Amino acid sequence: MNQVEKIFCPVCQVSFVVGEEKEAGKRIICPVCGAVLVLEKDNTAWIAKRPMDLTPEEEIRMRIENFARLRGYRFNELKEPLVQGLLKKYERYGDFYCPCKIDNIPENVCPCLETRQGSVERNGRCHCGLFWK
Amino acid sequence: MKEVMLYTLSTCPFCKMAKEYFENHHIPYRFVDVDLLEPEEREKTVAKVQEISGRRAFPVIVIGNQVIVGYDEVGIGEALQE
Repeated sequence: MNQVEKIFCPVCQVSFVVGEEKEAGKRIICPVCGAVLVLEKDNTAWIAKRPMDLTPEEEIRMRIENFARLRGYRFNELKEPLVQGLLKKYERYGDFYCPCKIDNIPENVCPCLETRQGSVERNGRCHCGLFWK
Repeated sequence: MKEVMLYTLSTCPFCKMAKEYFENHHIPYRFVDVDLLEPEEREKTVAKVQEISGRRAFPVIVIGNQVIVGYDEVGIGEALQE
């Protein structure tokens, strides 16, 4: 009997079940944050890492598209300036932190914790205005 | 004319829109891009923003003694008229 093994997402720090067959090098999408991840076998356990073969711009664009699709959110004309803001944050601080928040901490990595916890449902949009209901 | 102060981040499109609002309406304003300040000044300013807005998110718009958190054209218009 197969044991259900959860994979830890290094972006949103949440563990999730991979329903499909696991293969080393296979790309998967985190169902919580939309991050594109690559499966690797570490001794006996499967782990997921951020892909090394994507540019920062490709990585964040894929992630936000996936997240919007998973949640049924849409974008508007603020999308491009926000992608540029996210890339600026990546360049300055090493990750895709919210362009409209001062703290460059894991919970503010896009899509940020408050967005993953439903702020778009409550407010019609995320704080930065990237994801809209 | 009420005094207008904007606390903004250089990476934030709503912050840019807030500046454009006051430019387009020919309303004098002051602003500070908090993320571009030197560390000590940045921490002091962020602490002030948190005290007046309850958050560490931007923009924060101060019109007279009113504080508007986020870019809210209706709120800005009302605060200017009061």
